[in-house]
Amino acid sequence: MTTRPARWLLAMLLPLAIIAAGCGSDDDDSASDTTAASGEGGGACSEATAPDDAPAITIGAQDFGESAILAEIYRQCLDAAGYDVSIQEVGGFRDLELAAFDGGDINLAPEYAASMLEALNDQAGEATADAQETADKLKGYLSDLGLVALTPSEAVDTNALVVTKETADKLDLTSLSDLADHPELVLGGPADCETNAFCLPGLKSVYGVDLSAGFTPLEPAAVAPALDAGEIDVALLFSTDSRIVTNDYVLLEDDKGMLAADNVLPVLTTELADVEGLSDLLDAISESLTTSGLTELNRRFDVDVEDADKIAESHLTDAGLL
Amino acid sequence: MSAWSELVDYLTVADHWWGRRGIATRIGDHVQISVAATAAAVALAVPPALWLGHIRRGGAVATAAVNVGRAVPSFAIVALALPISLRYGFGLGFWPTLVALVALALPPIFTNTYAGVAGIDRAVTDAARGMGMRGHEVLWRVEAPNALPLLLTGVRTSAVQVVATATLGAFVGFGGLGAFINEGFRQQDDGKQLTGAVLVAVLAIATELLFGVGQRLLTPWTNRKGPR
Amino acid sequence: MRDRPFLEWDWVLDHLAEIRAATLEHLRLTVIAVVLGVVLAAALSAVALRWRRTLAPIAWVTGVIYTIPSLALFTFLVPIFGLGSTVAAEIALVGYTLLILIRNIVAGVDGVDPAVRDAADGMGYGRWHRLVAVELPLAVPAIIAGIRIAAVTTVGLVTVTGLIGLGGYGSFIDAGLKRQFPTQIVLGGGLSVIMATVIDVALVGLERLLTPWRRSPTQPLAEPEPLAGVLG
Repeated sequence: MTTRPARWLLAMLLPLAIIAAGCGSDDDDSASDTTAASGEGGGACSEATAPDDAPAITIGAQDFGESAILAEIYRQCLDAAGYDVSIQEVGGFRDLELAAFDGGDINLAPEYAASMLEALNDQAGEATADAQETADKLKGYLSDLGLVALTPSEAVDTNALVVTKETADKLDLTSLSDLADHPELVLGGPADCETNAFCLPGLKSVYGVDLSAGFTPLEPAAVAPALDAGEIDVALLFSTDSRIVTNDYVLLEDDKGMLAADNVLPVLTTELADVEGLSDLLDAISESLTTSGLTELNRRFDVDVEDADKIAESHLTDAGLL
Repeated sequence: MSAWSELVDYLTVADHWWGRRGIATRIGDHVQISVAATAAAVALAVPPALWLGHIRRGGAVATAAVNVGRAVPSFAIVALALPISLRYGFGLGFWPTLVALVALALPPIFTNTYAGVAGIDRAVTDAARGMGMRGHEVLWRVEAPNALPLLLTGVRTSAVQVVATATLGAFVGFGGLGAFINEGFRQQDDGKQLTGAVLVAVLAIATELLFGVGQRLLTPWTNRKGPR
Repeated sequence: MRDRPFLEWDWVLDHLAEIRAATLEHLRLTVIAVVLGVVLAAALSAVALRWRRTLAPIAWVTGVIYTIPSLALFTFLVPIFGLGSTVAAEIALVGYTLLILIRNIVAGVDGVDPAVRDAADGMGYGRWHRLVAVELPLAVPAIIAGIRIAAVTTVGLVTVTGLIGLGGYGSFIDAGLKRQFPTQIVLGGGLSVIMATVIDVALVGLERLLTPWRRSPTQPLAEPEPLAGVLG
């Protein structure tokens, strides 16, 4: 009578034991470290050498695929150069990222020039379509926080307002201006669209389009499926979202220039920016990034469900950095 | 405290109360889905629990299974229900959220109903049989009334949990009070976020009190308390 | 979800290292929450049992905590303690266990046969000696029943901490939700049920060890009533 429960207990513990034994050999969560260290080509990252007194680097990754991939790209490159580097997820909200910078939890993050500028200036609309100009204004706000932005990359990821092909054909929509005749359309997107200079407020001030009546706040992941199911008419996605192409959506052209230069760029503490050779590596990474390249990296993450660390590794290898 | 004043500020703007995404509409939506989910869970859990309690068999396994069912994250159910709901034309919001809430509400109702029936002294049911009652008469006239207080406690617990958890619907476009929490978080609007959280807590407490009164009316014989 | 199957085993087998790490993290968060919950609940119960008038307010406060939506509680604690903070997660998780545990401890001790209590008094036991040596051992089944409900509930709640950057099974669900990949969602939910089952069974085993005089374990039948103290 006493052995039965014991055996039952063992049977119940078995699945967990298998899981735990599944990778009994490697310690902690260093699985991704080993992949990075295996890069032994002659790229800029592996050839660089971190100064002995370089501080530990913690990269803040926001909670969407592209940010995770970019953070991994930074991490693996810096790891190959010999820096002590790790990633901390900071959720999907910029104020959390800024708080993490402020608290010393992170000291480097992949960012977007225009969106970060508008987040820091309370959506005042200072960002323009010129990447360098926008980045320079951003640096002005960052310096108060002890932060600095490096040269923006060519890769741009802005908000993208899309409709299905059927909707576009039926209502003859090609640009954001065309939305003015259709205030009845239901716009779906993340809730921050309501306060974001490149979404509802921008549509109103730049295009005189008011879609606020039917706005449906959704989690980012639910936006494209909701569009496919006809639950919403206009969807707010990111311009590097591979589904815009694969699902045959029509991207509404920003004919009056509401959107600004959301170029990818690294933001880091001044302490880190002073480390010799570090900025050069980050600049080299920025040079390897393009809009179409980023879209492809996202496609591998979203559609092929590859892991961010593997995608990052192949990008660095392909770019000759590892 | 600034959080408190932000809450008051948000609540005292008339525009925040009315309209498609106003407080009034969202309270209505929140109550509606909570009632629907609790009612559906009662319909699904009570008959099998009464029957298993009546035959006094399979209860240990069933209650263990239902108990472990508590660990199924409502969050995961919502996430899985969304694409299915969209594919079959049930849309965003209400239906995927309802599925998760019904699953959440089942365990307390099931376990309490079963316990209510199975816990009746054998002597009582034997006496009923001795009086010539048939099986179904014993169930309806002896066991079910005896189980009613515990059953209602289960429904009450489920209802409170459902009210508190319906906030998860915000992830799939459901317009209950969770939408204020989610929007407040994303828009960095503390007043909005607090509004959602406080109203949900108030609604949960109101549910609890309402059930307490309802329970007294439905089972007046339990009102006299023991020495404790 | 693009007609993907609910569970793609290839993906699972490719990610055993991540699964193991998430399992350890999930277990860590759960165990800390339940252990701290039991310690805190035991202290509060002792207070409530010793000074009866404190029982109603303790039941009230823990009952109100129980009604706070977990999503809201976690998101409010993040700005205070930072992302990925174990402290933020544990404050919320421990808070949710208190009501269940306190009700079961108090009910268990109250349920001890008065005759037994009288016998202990007759043998000259003091109040605390009686509580520790007589009442608590007899209340073990009710207490463990409470711990079972609390532990299983906590395993489920820990998944929500994935939203605030902690790495348990919730991070799989979160990631699966973000890219509409069912395998990760099913994996996160399924593993959490397995863990809950294992912990539940282990606690039944513990009860048998602690109460060798009993034959079958107590079913965790009675549900905690969030605010019963107000009405009862």
